[in-house]
Amino acid sequence: MSQTMIEVNDVTMRFRMNNDRIMSLKEFVTTALRGKLEYNEFTALEHVSFTVEKGETLGLIGRNGAGKSTLLKVISGIMKPTEGTVAVHGNVVPMLELGSGFDFDLTGRENVFLNGAILGYSEEYLKEKYQEILDFSELGAFIDVPIRNYSSGMLARLAFSVAAMVRPEILIVDEILSVGDTEFQAKSRARMMELMGGGTTVLFVSHNLEQIREMCSRVIWLESGRIQMAGSTENVCNHYVI
Amino acid sequence: MRKHDRPKAEAPIDIKKPLVIVAAAYIVLVFLFYWLAGDQLHFRQSRGNLDLPAAEAGTVELTQGAVVEQVFKADIQRFQSVSVQWGTYYRPNAGTVTMELYSLADNSLVMSQSFDAAAISEGGLTTMSVDTPIETAYGVPLLLRIYADSLPGGAVSPLMSVSAHEDGFSLTVNGAPTDGVLCFSASGEDYIWTGLHYWKFAAGFGLLLALGIAFVWHRWKSGKHSYVVNALIAVQKYRFLIRQLVSRDFKTKYKRSVLGVFWSFLNPLMMMCVQYFVFSTIFKSDIPDYAVYLLIGIVSFNFFSEACGMSLTSILGNAGLITKVYVPKYIYPLTRVMSSVVNLSISLIPLILVSLVTGVQFKKSAVLALFFLACLVVFSLGLGLLLSASMVFFRDTQFLWGVFSMAWMYATPIFYPESILPEQFRFILTINPLYHFLKNTRMCILDGLSPEPFIYFQCFVIALAMLLVGALVFRKTQDRFVLYL
Repeated sequence: MSQTMIEVNDVTMRFRMNNDRIMSLKEFVTTALRGKLEYNEFTALEHVSFTVEKGETLGLIGRNGAGKSTLLKVISGIMKPTEGTVAVHGNVVPMLELGSGFDFDLTGRENVFLNGAILGYSEEYLKEKYQEILDFSELGAFIDVPIRNYSSGMLARLAFSVAAMVRPEILIVDEILSVGDTEFQAKSRARMMELMGGGTTVLFVSHNLEQIREMCSRVIWLESGRIQMAGSTENVCNHYVI
Repeated sequence: MRKHDRPKAEAPIDIKKPLVIVAAAYIVLVFLFYWLAGDQLHFRQSRGNLDLPAAEAGTVELTQGAVVEQVFKADIQRFQSVSVQWGTYYRPNAGTVTMELYSLADNSLVMSQSFDAAAISEGGLTTMSVDTPIETAYGVPLLLRIYADSLPGGAVSPLMSVSAHEDGFSLTVNGAPTDGVLCFSASGEDYIWTGLHYWKFAAGFGLLLALGIAFVWHRWKSGKHSYVVNALIAVQKYRFLIRQLVSRDFKTKYKRSVLGVFWSFLNPLMMMCVQYFVFSTIFKSDIPDYAVYLLIGIVSFNFFSEACGMSLTSILGNAGLITKVYVPKYIYPLTRVMSSVVNLSISLIPLILVSLVTGVQFKKSAVLALFFLACLVVFSLGLGLLLSASMVFFRDTQFLWGVFSMAWMYATPIFYPESILPEQFRFILTINPLYHFLKNTRMCILDGLSPEPFIYFQCFVIALAMLLVGALVFRKTQDRFVLYL
């Protein structure tokens, strides 16, 4: 079982922010020619290293702006780190925020396929899983209605169903379990547990320590881009003070 | 640097099939092109054709016994015809005029023909031509002799230019050498070098292609990945996503409109009607088959502006996805261009309908228009990639593009004939890639002629160059997109 899924080696992520983003073209050119373009360097991640084994659920905690989301983006391949390397062995499925990746003029059914395709699944696979996704989402006849008519709860159900009913190798969850009604929340939690039991590696970001304690096997605490503490859930959560 | 290992579960791809398809397609295309291009593959209007000089005076009243002789040389490989321009003194004439062409190399009569003087109008031409082109006249001094059997007062007169002067030309009127040149023209065809060696070219490129295929196959066998194999893997992996995105674009475009997809061909048709009315009644243009001429322009330019306009916002518009899921970013502009291609193919239907209604005959060369449309697609894709990348960093791009595409529209002969441009602005057409694609599409459909082989090469290179520039800029900048979204 101890197969490494994610290796993060000494990753540093720096952003360059212009002092003044809005400047006229003439000003930009003249300052650039004089070599006086000033950037504020902002380091979002600094020498972060860790590995995640297959089947682990890794929690990420930290204050706003500590670099959690940046780290997830680096892992899922959206950003390239300024320094260091990331190796990912398996397909990464992010649980999309409400609405992103959905087209509001399309029906629920069309969106399942669109979203599935974006998440990297094949047509045959989605067709096979379609009934399962539909059943899990409990949308019933609404699946053939354009989703602009959906309530936010229904959207969340659809999004979660697509991401979780397929069997991703690595699932990235960025604060999403607080959607839907209580019943659906319980159901999605159960599904997450099931996924983890089935060998899916989960990266989980939350500010809710209860959830972290319940779901994670290991926790990393980020503080202004550095790993403040890493280790067993109990240990880190006890030390974590906001 | 990061590495994304391919998941182990991925189906092994079959690279044999696409390689065989490429090879087979090449062979089919070589033969198809040979057949479709027909004569235009081998001959073109000779560059040595002699044009009619401007008439300035009459030579002599061509009564019985009078003879006008013009010696000239023409660099025409397949000599076909000679024309002479006449003056009639604005009176009815009678008799027969005879034109004879001699080759002075061996003093043989090459061609001759007689014309009824009564049928000649003032400034009119008589043209004698041969069915089998003369291949021995290239650069050889030729003698054009004209005489008649008319009576004085009823004879025509060949016109001449007094001021014209050409080396090796000499005009003799009734045996007396005269300054100037007879108003005559000579035309024929030249062999096209690439056409003469078509099969050698085809075999040469075929050999290169075979070497390329062998190379890819070898790399694949020894477990290495070449660019081609990587591209094939990407196609296989993202085929479904591309299809989904294209069908999304298409479904949402006409969603909630009553006529739906019909707009794809109603739109160009209606635009054509309006412009046809404006330009054929108000501005009076005399282009033959103007409706089809206009429609080809509208359909092509609509595609171009739609593809570029949609690609422009493709990265920005999908910011929500790009910052969440890893998908190769070129997919977004690519799918936008592909949905425009779907639209383009639908709008070819009204083009065919209007052609049938207005009586434009499709010849086999019309199929070759697809080549130039394909060049247009590739060109638009390249420009689309460039624009979408530039839009991420400079939001001003969309406003600039709005103005620029309008200027581009006027710089392209969509609704006007190219001849209305004054000489000093002609260069605008030459440097405008759309003009080349459009001109040749029209030539294939309206004239039923294939452009000469070099034109194909030229258009292909223009399109490919744009694609390369676009793809390179896109590739260089794509890693930074996410920071600016």
